[in-house]
Amino acid sequence: MKINDNCVGCGQCTSFCKQEAIEVKGKAKITAACVECGICSFYCPVKAIEVPM
Amino acid sequence: MKTIVIGAGLGGLLSAARLSQAGYQVEVFERLPLTGGRFTNINFRGFQLSTGALHMLPHGPAGPLAQFLKEVKADVIIVRADRPTIRLPLKKHHPDYRHGFKDIAFSEFTKPLSHKDRLKIALLVVSTRKNRPTGSSLQTWIRTQFKDEWLVKFADSFCGWSLSLKSDKVRVEEIFEIIESMYRFGGPGVPIGGCKAVIDALEAVIFANGGRIHTRAEVSQILVENGRATGVVVGNETYRADLVISNLGHAATACLCSEALKEKIYADYIRMLKTLQPSAGIKICLAADEPLIGYSGVLLTPYAKRVNGINEVTHVDPKLAPPGKHLTMSHQYVAPENVKSLENEIDSGLNDLKEIFPGRKYEVLLIQSYHDNWPVNRAASGTDPGNETPISNLYVVGDGAKGKGGIEVEGVALGVAAAMKKIIG
Ligand SMILES: Cc1cc2nc3c(=O)[nH]c(=O)nc-3n(C[C@H](O)[C@H](O)[C@H](O)COP(=O)(O)OP(=O)(O)OC[C@H]3O[C@@H](n4cnc5c(N)ncnc54)[C@H](O)[C@@H]3O)c2cc1C
Repeated sequence: MKINDNCVGCGQCTSFCKQEAIEVKGKAKITAACVECGICSFYCPVKAIEVPM
Repeated sequence: MKTIVIGAGLGGLLSAARLSQAGYQVEVFERLPLTGGRFTNINFRGFQLSTGALHMLPHGPAGPLAQFLKEVKADVIIVRADRPTIRLPLKKHHPDYRHGFKDIAFSEFTKPLSHKDRLKIALLVVSTRKNRPTGSSLQTWIRTQFKDEWLVKFADSFCGWSLSLKSDKVRVEEIFEIIESMYRFGGPGVPIGGCKAVIDALEAVIFANGGRIHTRAEVSQILVENGRATGVVVGNETYRADLVISNLGHAATACLCSEALKEKIYADYIRMLKTLQPSAGIKICLAADEPLIGYSGVLLTPYAKRVNGINEVTHVDPKLAPPGKHLTMSHQYVAPENVKSLENEIDSGLNDLKEIFPGRKYEVLLIQSYHDNWPVNRAASGTDPGNETPISNLYVVGDGAKGKGGIEVEGVALGVAAAMKKIIG
């Protein structure tokens, strides 16, 4: 998962992450716990999460 | 009449409920998998946090939103919160809360002033109801009337909490409109079940009236023919409609029909769009075993460096937190020049909370910031450009098109009501 500059830090993604792999403070940060499931990206209201192909 | 609503935020769903009630054939398209936009619940470790709002309706069970919900027969229980309070330093000359504090009722806001200033306020309360001040910012107006900086501090915390603006960015006309609404409708309330209860109730109305809501359906274009909106494009599909309502604010709506708006006759509208300033803010969500505030009223904190106010909604609806826990949320305004240093703003907010709740035990659940394309307010309060667009049959609703004097979702409801009046009559 890559967080781009669109991120405002609203934290919506983290509440939908089953792995608790997103920390938010002004901006989202993906931690090592991420399994790249990509679910968070659907919930981002500003298209800030890019799923690697 | 076939109607398409773009966006299932509060503004979009209020419109869809009203139009479907009036017999319009309504279809709502929402980009995200969830509806409600910045006004719904998100479950975070058993706490009902929210995508935006602090689970508070600025004018509670009697306000414009509550009235609108009643009119469309959306079933929501809204409970009036306790009266707001203001936290002051123990001694007037203390610059912050570090040496202790005392709380006074919101209605006693003149208490820190001299007798002379209090008398002046009493007179202004009467005279300004007839003769509304105009033509300046709230801050400038206060400074022309009073020397005591307390009133500016108080105004900043009130405006920061309720509008995510500083008093120098709020037109005095807007604030007097808000004061009038406070007289008329009273103070804040909490919907039982939080923001999502409002969204669920509106969806039930829309479905009962035969309307449809599609999620994960992003509108990529608004079709315009001869200056008229005729439908939208979603994925590879074209959907035709007689009426298009956009919940995205004026600027984002214009992006969806930018080709059509290139014509010269729209230049003034495009120029106006560039002047719109969204307002930014930070919400810090706290969990505590023992209540931090102890009542459901807003606690304004004018002597904190950044935090403008705090609420504890679990006194109205304990189910917004796991059993035995409390959910406490602070809000702070972020100045446009500080959006680039959000981490510092957050650290200041966290420090404020330590001073406001010294020695108290709480856990920081989630820190949520909002600006630019996902702001607290798409159009800073008092600058909303109305619901109409230069494209006929294309209307804008939501917090980019609020009604006058309506704080946040009350403004959204007033704006939708005005748009519906134009459309349905
Ligand atoms: C931190 C914070 C605290 C707040 N506190 C309060 C409070 O306590 N009380 C209060 O009254 N108000 C509060 N507000 C304000 C309130 O949340 C907003 O005024 C309100 O939610 C705005 O609703 P809306 O319908 O205008 O927009 P939104 O909720 O943003 O809805 C727009 C919808 O459109 C969707 N969308 C976007 N683009 C497309 C597209 N191309 N196609 C399809 N769908 C699309 C979005 O996903 C979204 O769901 C707060 C806001 C914030 C951020």
